[in-house]
Amino acid sequence: MYKEKTIPVYVKAIEQENEFIRRFTLASVNEELLPKFSGGAHISTYIEHGELLVRQYSLTSNPDDTKHYQIAVRLSDTSRGGSRYWHEKMKVGDQLQISYPKNHFPLSFKAKHHVFYAAGIGITPFLSMMNELHSRGSSFELYYASKTEEACAFYDFLQEHYPNQYRFYFSNKRERINSSSLEEHPIGTHVYFCGPESFISDLTESAYQLGYPPSAVHTERFTPPQPKDMQPFNVQLKDGTLVEVARDQTLLEALLNKGIKAPYSCRVGRCGTCELQVVEGEIAHYDSFFSEDQKQSQSRILTCVSRSKSAMLVLDV
Amino acid sequence: MKWINNLESFPYPFKGSTYRYSNNSIPMKTPLCVEVTPDYIEEMQLKRTLLNHHAERCYQSLPHTITGQWEIVELVIDHLAAQYPDQFSVEKKGSKWTFNNKILEEKQEFTFGGESTFPEEPLAFISRHVQEDLILMMQRDGDLYLDAGQLCFPANWSLAFNLGMKFKCIHHPIPGFKEEGLDDRILQFLMRLEAGNPWERKNWSLMAGDRLDTSLETFDQWGKLRKQVTKENAGELVHIRVEVQKLFRLPRTNGILFTINTHLLSLENLVSNREWLKQFHDILSELPPHITDYKGISLYKNEVLKYLSEKLESGKVV
Repeated sequence: MYKEKTIPVYVKAIEQENEFIRRFTLASVNEELLPKFSGGAHISTYIEHGELLVRQYSLTSNPDDTKHYQIAVRLSDTSRGGSRYWHEKMKVGDQLQISYPKNHFPLSFKAKHHVFYAAGIGITPFLSMMNELHSRGSSFELYYASKTEEACAFYDFLQEHYPNQYRFYFSNKRERINSSSLEEHPIGTHVYFCGPESFISDLTESAYQLGYPPSAVHTERFTPPQPKDMQPFNVQLKDGTLVEVARDQTLLEALLNKGIKAPYSCRVGRCGTCELQVVEGEIAHYDSFFSEDQKQSQSRILTCVSRSKSAMLVLDV
Repeated sequence: MKWINNLESFPYPFKGSTYRYSNNSIPMKTPLCVEVTPDYIEEMQLKRTLLNHHAERCYQSLPHTITGQWEIVELVIDHLAAQYPDQFSVEKKGSKWTFNNKILEEKQEFTFGGESTFPEEPLAFISRHVQEDLILMMQRDGDLYLDAGQLCFPANWSLAFNLGMKFKCIHHPIPGFKEEGLDDRILQFLMRLEAGNPWERKNWSLMAGDRLDTSLETFDQWGKLRKQVTKENAGELVHIRVEVQKLFRLPRTNGILFTINTHLLSLENLVSNREWLKQFHDILSELPPHITDYKGISLYKNEVLKYLSEKLESGKVV
């Protein structure tokens, strides 16, 4: 079974970025250098707290500085334990495991110009991307929406490092990112959206309507798009075992709880590791991994996000 | 030239009694991108001669690969120094590195990441110290491209021809690769490869002769041996060629390092293991024409089968 290797690290520093966001500096327990990473990369963090809390955070530090990593964690209103632990329990000196850096949100190689649209904590992946473009001498802009100036993470950092490349939009000043700015980018521009689901889907739709090729539109969702109405369903395994998947549970979680060694890695429907064969039943795909053709073939499922339209799925496992 | 006499270290590639193309990759137990075998000195001499005299066919790169090339230098040197401390060492003082190859008694000082540190590119430098061929695939705009490589021992393909090509274009000539959907699945597998979690696989073919450097460009020199195979000379002339291939994600550039370590074993050595003889006979007899054609075995497959059958019948272990 595929199980990813991890790196033991400890929390070297904690800084309060603003009311809701804390920055954590992580360093290797063995004082070894950490792997370098590419712009847009993230890590998975593994925290043992009763259950194993696995969360993904963008790396916000300099990709070439491997003495430490930095992540920024926003205390989520609907925290399922991850961000709450980071904010309320994590202390300087605490140890945890992290994955090697991964990148599901890479910079385009062929783009002539890069424009980043961020809302709130959606700024985080863009920090390493801008660092990379800046050191390469490539052209980019940042459009960044936040509730207020005080709640705007990395406000000072951005002003200091990229003084001519950002535009802030503060909703308490009635400023809003308007999709009409998409009309003003030259041909060859690639756009990148990161923030709440509605922010991403509105901008994506506008970009497509304006005629952006899909390959020039890049999005990063911190949580996979969720079905509006989660329904429980059952799966049957090869040996006849029945597994119930509750309304608030993923298929992967249900399999793991049952002691089944199902493969997984990213848990957000991006990497494809958790793929299982489906023999019978209709799949509701929620991943961003399979192609449309693969989804329509109804023969494979990513258990970390996808569900069943029928009452029962029969899995080849 | 007999490249391998030690059967125990031969990466025997077969499982079961049939063979088909597949993604037979497995997670690596010991994450090493290169290995040093007893043939090290001999192979390095051959490789360096090829690199010096046939640079175009043995080394190609696109200009945007330099950062990825440095990642390969770092990975290879770290692995050599950690796994073979008596043969290799590295001293790092900031970006000032000193690499010591104690087998060849060569010491190289350089500035890591610095321009014009070596008379050649970083990938070309490090490839002169390892038996493996080193290929750099860059992942850009949702696809994989062969953007740089050092290739001295290809199994009948051309680096110069493939430079800059996409993964699927490179593998297009393999019969059934597209029709069976293997191209999509393996491309997806490669694109989801993660740093820290390397994979390896074995690939095999047969060849008439014992040349490691069977490039497409030199087919005229080695291809005609295929016509000279008889059941009498097959044991000595025909070799099984096994490539141990390793895949590492390079985290800084999000590229992939693909290393190929090529092993040759004569059939007479292979069949000295009775189980291997039986299994290989079964596999070769059953192998469908589209695979024997592509692997270049068709011309002499029958002679090899006659040789194997005689060995089986005689029950003799050579």
